[in-house]
Amino acid sequence: MKKLTAVFMLLGLATPVFAGTPSFTIEIKNHLFYPDVLTVPANKKVKLIIINRDESSEEFESYELNREKIITGGRKGIVFIGPLAPGEYPYFGEFHPKTALGKIIAQ
Amino acid sequence: MKAKLFALFNSSLILLSYSVTTLADGNSIDKVYHPYVVETEVEVEWRTLFQNDNDDTLDDQQVHRLGVGYGVTESLFAEFYLIGGRSPSDDFDIEAVEIELLWQLTEQGEYDYDWGLLFELEREIDNQVWEFSTGLLIEKEWGHWVGAANLLVEYEWGNDIEDEIETAASFQLRYRYNAAFEPAVEFYQSEKTTGIGPVAMGNIRLGIAQKLHWEFGAIFGLKSETPNQTIKASLEYEF
Repeated sequence: MKKLTAVFMLLGLATPVFAGTPSFTIEIKNHLFYPDVLTVPANKKVKLIIINRDESSEEFESYELNREKIITGGRKGIVFIGPLAPGEYPYFGEFHPKTALGKIIAQ
Repeated sequence: MKAKLFALFNSSLILLSYSVTTLADGNSIDKVYHPYVVETEVEVEWRTLFQNDNDDTLDDQQVHRLGVGYGVTESLFAEFYLIGGRSPSDDFDIEAVEIELLWQLTEQGEYDYDWGLLFELEREIDNQVWEFSTGLLIEKEWGHWVGAANLLVEYEWGNDIEDEIETAASFQLRYRYNAAFEPAVEFYQSEKTTGIGPVAMGNIRLGIAQKLHWEFGAIFGLKSETPNQTIKASLEYEF
């Protein structure tokens, strides 16, 4: 999607939000999220880099964040969230919903 | 993966054995697409429209779509449909088949607007009629509110139809109340269609990585060529 990013910028159809966008990394190991609690700045767009260290796929899902993203085994996925009002936003791994739990704290 | 492909194959067989007829020509009321793809997700979809009108040529017509789709990559979703329906003068029959590709162009939330492209190729079974549609899918989120727009160009050709190009636009404004219930308003515009009405939708979690997405709505025609009411409903099983 990086090439498309450049095309869209050239066409003036989109304003990039990632210039200066804070970036955070979440890892998936043994069907758990690390860190499981992540604090991010409120009222600002944030880029999450989610690295799946497991062999099997996991899905980062959160109704509160309005995001749903599959990260297949051994790969990484990018999820943009926010700007978020101050508060807590839970998320979970849809393939392991009882153990793969986490939350984003915007403050 | 093998289990999903087996399920996909089984679903295709179910679809091929389903019997349905007569498309409601010219009514562009259907579905507002969103520019997002979930990789490796399988979707089995049933979508239907019921038309009511004082004009007999528009009244009591049904369209049914049965589809099976798959998230091929993180940005490409492919779906195969059988399309059919019935009218007062015709029984249920399968009338057309369609292949659809949805290409997610940008990550959700990456830009001010999220972008996607839709490609649809439809072929009527008993007539030499083809239809190709393509266009932009655009979405924007404002807190709990989400706006979506579909801007499409359609080209029809074949021995049994006069070649023509049409445009169609549809819009949805949705309130994310909770996962199981989201109210919305939809607006449709094309050569023969101008309609607006309330729609509701939601997701019901059925188990690990299994969801049932439902939609139900009523679109009211704002001009004589558009049915007075089009009732729309759909169920999507996603796994």
